[in-house]
Amino acid sequence: MILNIWKKIKNSPNIILLNVFCLLTIGLFCLYSISIIQEESSSQAFYKQLLFLGPAILLMIFSTVLSKRFIHKNIYLLYGISLILISLPFYGSKIAGTYRWIDYGFPFLFQPSEIAKWVIVITLARFLSDNNLQVKNFISNLAPFAIALIPTFIVLNQPDLGTAFIMMLPVIPMLYWVGANPFHLFLIVAPFLSILTAFNVIVFTAWIIFIGIIVFFYRTKLWNKVVIFFLNVFLGLIFPLIWNLLRPYQKNRILSSINPELDPLGAGYQVIQSKTALGSGGFFGKGLGQGTQTQLKFLPVQESDFIVSVIGEELGFLVIIFMLFLFASLLIKMVSLAFHASDRFSSLIIIGITTIFLGHIFVNCSMTAGLIPVKGLPLPFISYGGSFLLSSFMMIGFILNFGRTEP
Amino acid sequence: MLKSPNSISKLQYWISILIILVFHLLLVYRFFQVQILDHDLYSKQADNNRIRATSIPSPRGLILDRNGEIIVDNYPTYILYGIDAEILNKNKNYEIINKTTGIDISILEKNYKNNYRNKFLPARLAKDLTISQLSRLEEEHHNLSGIIYKQFPERIFNQKIRASHVLGYLKEIDNEMLFSNATNNYQLGDLTGWTGIEKQYESTLKGKKGVSYHQVDAFGRETEKIEFENSILPIPGKNVYTSLDINLQSLIEKEFEGKTGVVIVSKPKTGEILSFLSSPDYKPDLFTGLVSNDDWKMIINDPNKPLLNRATNGIYPPGSIFKMVVLIELLERNIVSTEWSVLCTGEYEYFDSVHRCWDENGHGKINMKDALVQSCDIYFYEAVQKIKLDNLYLRAQEFGYGQESNIDLPNEMKGRMPNRDFMNKLYGKWGWSKGALLNIAIGQGEILSTPVQMANYTNLIATNGDTYPLNLVRTKINKLNRPQVELKNWQIIQDAMREVVIGEKGTGKLSDPKLPGLSIYGKTGTAENPHGEPHAWYITYGEKNNEMISIVVLIENGGSGGTYATPIARKIYNYYFNSNKSKLAKN
Repeated sequence: MILNIWKKIKNSPNIILLNVFCLLTIGLFCLYSISIIQEESSSQAFYKQLLFLGPAILLMIFSTVLSKRFIHKNIYLLYGISLILISLPFYGSKIAGTYRWIDYGFPFLFQPSEIAKWVIVITLARFLSDNNLQVKNFISNLAPFAIALIPTFIVLNQPDLGTAFIMMLPVIPMLYWVGANPFHLFLIVAPFLSILTAFNVIVFTAWIIFIGIIVFFYRTKLWNKVVIFFLNVFLGLIFPLIWNLLRPYQKNRILSSINPELDPLGAGYQVIQSKTALGSGGFFGKGLGQGTQTQLKFLPVQESDFIVSVIGEELGFLVIIFMLFLFASLLIKMVSLAFHASDRFSSLIIIGITTIFLGHIFVNCSMTAGLIPVKGLPLPFISYGGSFLLSSFMMIGFILNFGRTEP
Repeated sequence: MLKSPNSISKLQYWISILIILVFHLLLVYRFFQVQILDHDLYSKQADNNRIRATSIPSPRGLILDRNGEIIVDNYPTYILYGIDAEILNKNKNYEIINKTTGIDISILEKNYKNNYRNKFLPARLAKDLTISQLSRLEEEHHNLSGIIYKQFPERIFNQKIRASHVLGYLKEIDNEMLFSNATNNYQLGDLTGWTGIEKQYESTLKGKKGVSYHQVDAFGRETEKIEFENSILPIPGKNVYTSLDINLQSLIEKEFEGKTGVVIVSKPKTGEILSFLSSPDYKPDLFTGLVSNDDWKMIINDPNKPLLNRATNGIYPPGSIFKMVVLIELLERNIVSTEWSVLCTGEYEYFDSVHRCWDENGHGKINMKDALVQSCDIYFYEAVQKIKLDNLYLRAQEFGYGQESNIDLPNEMKGRMPNRDFMNKLYGKWGWSKGALLNIAIGQGEILSTPVQMANYTNLIATNGDTYPLNLVRTKINKLNRPQVELKNWQIIQDAMREVVIGEKGTGKLSDPKLPGLSIYGKTGTAENPHGEPHAWYITYGEKNNEMISIVVLIENGGSGGTYATPIARKIYNYYFNSNKSKLAKN
């Protein structure tokens, strides 16, 4: 038994752990730097993270050695359980204005949507591999969407826009991975882009022309082409009406991305301070513990959402590049594991998890650098956050498990 | 299970890697842009974030009495601020502050709402916390969040006296003043003198704020001081040395307790004010915030108007103390001689109306001196027939009637001295007759004056017209305009006023403490008014060994001046020329 487990661990593609622990180290350095001058609750971020590291590694090993068969067999059950879990906070009381966490009496709050992320991926993987989908058929693409959409909808109501986005994200790459027609995927993504581009008349016009060209050259019935085209135009036009139904904080976040100077103390304030921290760091940074923006608390939520600003300010562009290299090489290694995986189920799980990580990395970094609206998404292995650390390490465990080539 | 084979094409593999690379390269480019290309811009911005210029309050100058005793001092108080972004539980904070300092939760809430600017800037919750309040609050520090405090110097007052009307109070500068005073380096929230000496000598007392540079965090909290070459130290305000005598003031406040009116004691030769009381007054620390809301409401709603400075802003008919002006007019124009006399029967018929003397039995045949000594009204009714109103008006003006007294206190009233134009405007050209002069001759009717005007008037008589306006702080000031009166006529008036005090039938007898060498002069007044009992006036001056003081006493609705106002003057003379003379004479 023990021997068997050891064998499993030994045969895992443990090379990716090098990246993971390098990233973890960068994160801990930054959390320590933040904790130097901070009093009380916030100073515990570093120690809490260390405290969570033990259970996180144990959970990683656990998900590394767990039988693939067992996972495959029980994932639908787990999917049901996680639907219940993410609904539970609604029966508790609001914490920080949302229903994201469950307070079950321990000193730490538990965020069930973190578990739901990878549960959705594995559920999708089973669904897509079991049914040997005729994914060339457009309609058959919609069922996987439903699987992701149910928990997404619940999480969206917590409300947690960032996590909802991450939950939906793996569906498209996974469909692509099982051979869905790229045009079909385009059709699915197109409406969202139509809505996003509706911000700006010129961008929207360009996008509509682009849709027109693609639809024109793709071989399908004329009737289909007309419907697809005008549906997108319609969506883009109706969007301003839907916009008014959004919650104010969501509107604020989106708006402040377009022009952060509009509201220097709302969401835009965070972006300005974050860019100031990053920019003033320069190439080599100001040195650990020397960042004035960080140490003087100009940076908001620096230990989680804006930790990249701390890295940028104190350790500089050099370490940012190194960090991005670590992330990129980790993800590329994962794609390669997915490519070489022995079966479709494993391959899909790896590509789904890869997508989740990529989503986190891109959204967090580009938010910090002021590219996209402020979304509360942490950076894997680096940001402080118990539930997220646990789920990140579990997902690494699954990569190790499903990326293992059985001898 | 796991039956479907992995069937990924090389194309899918490379496209996936390409996507990952594109996203990461996009990030690399963006970080390059922010961190390398815009490095200078953001470095500057970071410095702006970091260093903040803070003004250092300058301690306000003290107010002292003529012997150097401090009347108004500074002491440290604390201002409590809340920072929205750091406050975890507002109500809990409020409860703790309420429990430890006793400040109403509703007041905290109101202040916080009024002073809130944004979630990162401290909003003032309460001010004027004492050290003991603060230390009780500090004990609960672990239960508070986002509550900070700053030291702030506040006024504290000598407990011996109130003198609130003369000292005045400080108030937060309002928008109107802020913009009209742009050169004086005030900021919103600064205190400024609002009344009294505090206002009059604001520029002396205020000093100049300093500037220091601090490293601040995002919540505006100063973390460490940065030594900058161009930091400016505050210049403390200069002290104001007043001519007030704190002991005399204290005596008068005790004597006058419960009465409504004014007492002004000054030195006729220099105009220096030794004591200045407008009663009722208020505790001078009313405006420092140490007084509860209830006390404040009580004072605002008090029908006796304790906030009104009756000495500068109360206007009263002068009554008989005006009579000296009439006599001087008679003498200066040689209208009558001192021997000219009138038969007083107690009644005086003027056309179809009857005017009475205050003494119903009449004074009999009475000359000028006796008319003043016994304050016979009939004499003045008769005499004023020979006087033109406009001449009397000019004469009264020379003695300060209807004129600003130029006391160094803000917002004084001018009172009123009628002339023909005024009467024409008020009653129409044919609406008044010479009969109106009868009232004016005895200081009633249209004449209104303030007690400080009457103090100047007294000082003019005491010094043959050679004196300064009333003043609290000895600065370079111009003398009062000297009335055109011949020396012999001054002496006639002064003799008569001396007789008021020492004469058998003098109305001011009660004001003489009968100290050896002390000569006292005076004139009583009983000013009829529509608000009940007449106001009791007494103006007087006394001299001993070339040392002279003058006293003006006004008791609102106090009845007869001779009966009620004169004993107060006696106590002042007794105190000044007897017990403390050596100490006071020094100045």
